[in-house]
Amino acid sequence: MKQIMLITDGCSNVGESPVMAAALARQEGITVNVVGIVDYGTIGELGSVEIEEIARAGGGMSRMSGTRQLAQTMQMMTRKTVVQTIQHAVNKELRQILGQTDTAVEDLPPDTRSQVVEVIDELSETSALEVVLLIDASASMRPKLAAVEEAIRDMMLSLGARQGTSRIAVFHFPGAHSGEEAVMDMDWTTELTGARSIFQKLTMRGATPTGPAILKVMEFFRYGTLEGHGSSNWLKESDRGEGMLGDYVV
Amino acid sequence: MTTSSKWNLAQGTVVTGRWKGGKYVVQRLLGQGANGIVYLVKHTGSARLYAMKLGFDTLDLQSEINVLKAVQRTRLRGLGENRNAPYLVEVDDYTHHGREIPFYVMRYVKGEALRTFLAHKGGQWLHVAGLHLLQQLRTLHEAGWAFGDLKPENVMVSPSGEVELIDYGGVSAVGKSIKQYTEWYDRGFWNAGSRTAEPSYDWFSFAVVCIHLLAEGPLKRAAQQLPQTRSSNDLLLIVQSDEALSPFRSWLELALRGDFRDTLHACQAWKKLVTGPYIARRVSAKTPGWMVGAFALSLTLLGCAIYLSLRF
Repeated sequence: MKQIMLITDGCSNVGESPVMAAALARQEGITVNVVGIVDYGTIGELGSVEIEEIARAGGGMSRMSGTRQLAQTMQMMTRKTVVQTIQHAVNKELRQILGQTDTAVEDLPPDTRSQVVEVIDELSETSALEVVLLIDASASMRPKLAAVEEAIRDMMLSLGARQGTSRIAVFHFPGAHSGEEAVMDMDWTTELTGARSIFQKLTMRGATPTGPAILKVMEFFRYGTLEGHGSSNWLKESDRGEGMLGDYVV
Repeated sequence: MTTSSKWNLAQGTVVTGRWKGGKYVVQRLLGQGANGIVYLVKHTGSARLYAMKLGFDTLDLQSEINVLKAVQRTRLRGLGENRNAPYLVEVDDYTHHGREIPFYVMRYVKGEALRTFLAHKGGQWLHVAGLHLLQQLRTLHEAGWAFGDLKPENVMVSPSGEVELIDYGGVSAVGKSIKQYTEWYDRGFWNAGSRTAEPSYDWFSFAVVCIHLLAEGPLKRAAQQLPQTRSSNDLLLIVQSDEALSPFRSWLELALRGDFRDTLHACQAWKKLVTGPYIARRVSAKTPGWMVGAFALSLTLLGCAIYLSLRF
């Protein structure tokens, strides 16, 4: 299961539309979630509309959050997205089995529902999960990055407790020059240890190329799975996940 | 998709189950958990009072119900818990403005949240309530579950100090990941261990609950530190230095370190703590300074009296 978690505090202003990029990601089986950080002042009408649209196109959800609730918000979204991805796949199967076009888990009588949800819970806990955190590091986000980093560490702690393999990677955007849409801060990892700061290669630039950054992360996802990172066990698991995802992607 | 919109049920609303047709009249709001809203309801047939939880999300509520069912099965099998009424009464859906809201009906426990209870009855009731709470956790742990989101709000206490855990939304099977937690009571928040569901996770939360109830100020200060420097040592320091916590010191240290053999051991240690040395200390502390002084004075007077009576 693949997710992008975009954390931003404003509007994109350079390059391809982030909504379009999110729609493309969804077609590749990657769900896009967006957190809008609203600590100092507001995020603006335009920003909040864009955040909603990116999430909708990316098949995920969007939330506004202050830095204090950031960790909780990110974890809730990740967990819900995992459950929903599996739920979609299960609903699809149910429709095939029952031969009705609009059957969902919610429509089953309580006893049957109970068994189906047990399966969903089990799959949510054990399926392999890959999350790329894509952080907007434009000037206005700078004072919030410490909180973002803390939230990432906290999230890894929660994901690490899952029974399935969970790994995250961290990117920020924009890069140092106009050709560099997103910079990798951390490659796939299953645990975050050490006090070393995640964000070290930051450069001040005003631009917010959200769309191009999403496209760049998609490339990373593609490379990650095609080139066979990690153990064979991991690959087998992610293959299974893809088969399931393929079902529900529209 | 998720039904995230909140709804309010007015007093007197009749909730009719879609599948089983049970009818319940809403009496008043009891509270709100992460997964749904709880109302006090009256069953129209038997006029009995129950608590009814209406869920925000069908899946989340159903996982909670599954846990309740599993816990109930082990409770009925087990000898330890001999409660007369079953916890879970009915599970159904309610059609509200064209939308299906899942709900379940459970036993209604008359009582107060732990903090209010202690405020009314006095802090020493923590001894009783704490023991009951640990025994509840023990039943849960021995059945293979961890409670997860243990906090004062999730503990209801009856006037006699009996404890009922409410909100099973955070319960996870041992070995899985903790689903719900609250900052202060979370082991991960204090950099003191993983978020894996296991008995020691609940011991830790229980210890922080005790610290919160008896030494809120120091806990607040410790929680406000930079996240990287926060550690269980901060909590141990409070336990060792705060006077209000001194009766529980040894127990809390074991709990924060996760050093009990199992929850039975934790129960026994707590019992020993609140019964054994407590009485001894009371006796020794019963002799105040003025009494010693008065006794010495009376001895002197007696001496003088004897001396004088012998002299003349």
